[in-house]
Amino acid sequence: MSLQYNLENYYKPETMKQAVDLLLKFGKTAKVIAGGTDILPKRQCGAQFDTITHLIDISNLGLNYIKESKGNLCIGASTNINSLVTASAFHSNPYIGLIEAAEAHSTNTIRNQATVGGNLCNASPCADLALPLLALSACVVVAGPKGNHTIQLDTFFKGPNCTALLPGEILLEIIIPNHQETTGASFIKLRHHQTEVDMAVVNVATQLLLDGNNCLRAMIALGSVGPTSFLAKKAAGILSRQTLNKKLIEQAAMLAADESAPIDDNRATAGYRKEMAAVLVKNSLEKSWERSRK
Amino acid sequence: MKKKNIWMNVNGEWHDLTVTLQDRLIDTLRDQIGLTGTKEGCGEGECGACTINLNGKAVLACLMLSVQADGAQVTTIEGLQNGTDLHPLQTAFLTESAVQCGYCTPGMIMAGHALIKQNPDPDKTTVKTCLANNLCRCTGYEQPVKAVLKAAGEMRRKIK
Ligand SMILES: Cc1cc2nc3c(=O)[nH]c(=O)nc-3n(C[C@H](O)[C@H](O)[C@H](O)COP(=O)(O)OP(=O)(O)OC[C@H]3O[C@@H](n4cnc5c(N)ncnc54)[C@H](O)[C@@H]3O)c2cc1C
Ligand code: FES
Ligand code: FES
Repeated sequence: MSLQYNLENYYKPETMKQAVDLLLKFGKTAKVIAGGTDILPKRQCGAQFDTITHLIDISNLGLNYIKESKGNLCIGASTNINSLVTASAFHSNPYIGLIEAAEAHSTNTIRNQATVGGNLCNASPCADLALPLLALSACVVVAGPKGNHTIQLDTFFKGPNCTALLPGEILLEIIIPNHQETTGASFIKLRHHQTEVDMAVVNVATQLLLDGNNCLRAMIALGSVGPTSFLAKKAAGILSRQTLNKKLIEQAAMLAADESAPIDDNRATAGYRKEMAAVLVKNSLEKSWERSRK
Repeated sequence: MKKKNIWMNVNGEWHDLTVTLQDRLIDTLRDQIGLTGTKEGCGEGECGACTINLNGKAVLACLMLSVQADGAQVTTIEGLQNGTDLHPLQTAFLTESAVQCGYCTPGMIMAGHALIKQNPDPDKTTVKTCLANNLCRCTGYEQPVKAVLKAAGEMRRKIK
C-alpha cells in the first residue's frame, strides 16, 4: 500500500450537479479523478496533492464519447486516449497530428486508462494532446456552479498544473471546429530516452492550409519549452498570406524558438530545448506542407 | 483508515471486498485475495510488471485504486490456465525462452492476452507496441514478442 494520499472519501457521482456540488463543498481538499494516471503515481504526490482528502470520480457522468455535432467533432472529457486512435472520425488529413500525438502519448497500456480531459486538465507543459488540439483551434466546454461555458484552449492553460478552471468546475467536452480536408497537420515529439514511456523534451504540432503555395492559415503549437503549451503566434503570423518556401519555413521555425522560454531540468537543458524547438518546428511545418498537397 | 465495500469479478469469481480508500488494485489482488502472480516493480506506471486485464483491456494495477475497479471484471495471470493445462501464452513463453527470472512475465503475458482477444492475428509491430510498457531486465525483448506471436498462431489454430 504505497499511495500517499490520506483519503477521507471517494465519490462516484451520477450527475454533473452532484459532482459540481461535491467539488464546491470540499474545495481545496477535493480533486477530480478520471484515469488517475497523473494523480496516482507516487512521484506526483508532492506538496501539490498534500491537501487532497476527497476524490471525485467522473467515470459515471457519461463523458466517454466521440461524436459529430453541427459540423464540429466533440470529444467527451473522459474518453480514453486509445479511443482517439481507433476513431474513424480522426482518420483524415486535418487530424493526422492528433492521431500522431495520441500514439506518442505514453504506451498502449496506459492509453487504455489515461483520458483526453485528464491530459488537458493536468496542464503539464509537455502534455502531448494539448498541442494538436491547440493547432486545431479547439475549445473546451466547462460545467460549473453557474452552468456551462466555453473556453478557447488557447487561454485554458495558466501555468504548470494550473488551468482556467474555477472552483467547482469540471471539463465536459473538447470541441474541434471543422477543418478543410486539404489542411496538412503533423505532430513531432522528441524524447530524452527513446522509449515509449517518456515525456517530451520538446513537442510540436503544426497545421497549414494552402491555396496552391499560398498559405491561408498556419498554426504552430509548442510544448515542454515554457510554463504552458502555447501557440507561437508571431512565427505562424509570418507564414500567413505568404507564398510558402523553405526559407520562410526556416525563419518561422527560428521565430517560434525565440517565442519559447524553456528551463533546464533533468531531461534537457534550456539551450538544447530551444535549438531543438527550431528543428522540430521546421520538420513539422515541412511535413504539414507536404501533407496539405495531398 | 476509511474503508469501502466493493465487489469485483476476479478470474470468473465474484468477491465481496472491504478495501481502504488508499488500496490500489494491486494491493487488493495480492494482499487481500492472495493472487501474488501480479507483480509490483516500479509502482508508478513505468515497468508494466503489474499489468492485468480489466473489462478485457490491459491496464496497470499499480495505477488504479481498488474503489475505481468496483464492479469490474478482472483477469490476472492465475486466471489463464485451465486446470493443469497452461494457456497457449504461458506455453509459448516457456518454449520460446521468454522467461528468465520471471518477474516481468505475468505482466507481459497479460498485455499479450488483451491484445490477442482484440486482435487474434497481430503482426510483429502490433505486438511490439502492445509490449512497449513492459520492461524486462533479463531476457531482452525478441523472445517475448516471438512468444506472443506464436501463442496467437496457436490460438487461431485451436479455434479452427
Ligand atoms: C508512465 C507514464 C507515462 C506517461 N506518458 C505521458 C506522455 O507520453 N504524454 C503525456 O502527455 N502524458 C503522459 N503521462 C501523463 C498522463 O498519463 C496523462 O496526462 C493523462 O492523459 C492524464 O489523464 P488521466 O485521465 O489519467 O488524468 P487524472 O490523473 O485522472 O487527472 C489529471 C488531472 O486532471 C484533473 N482532471 C481530470 N479530468 C478532469 C475533468 N474532466 N475536469 C476537471 N479536472 C479534471 C484531475 O483532477 C487531475 O488534476 C504519463 C503518465 C505515466 C504514469
Ligand atoms: S508496478 Fe505497475 S507499472 Fe511498474
Ligand atoms: S525475465 Fe527477468 S525481468 Fe523479464
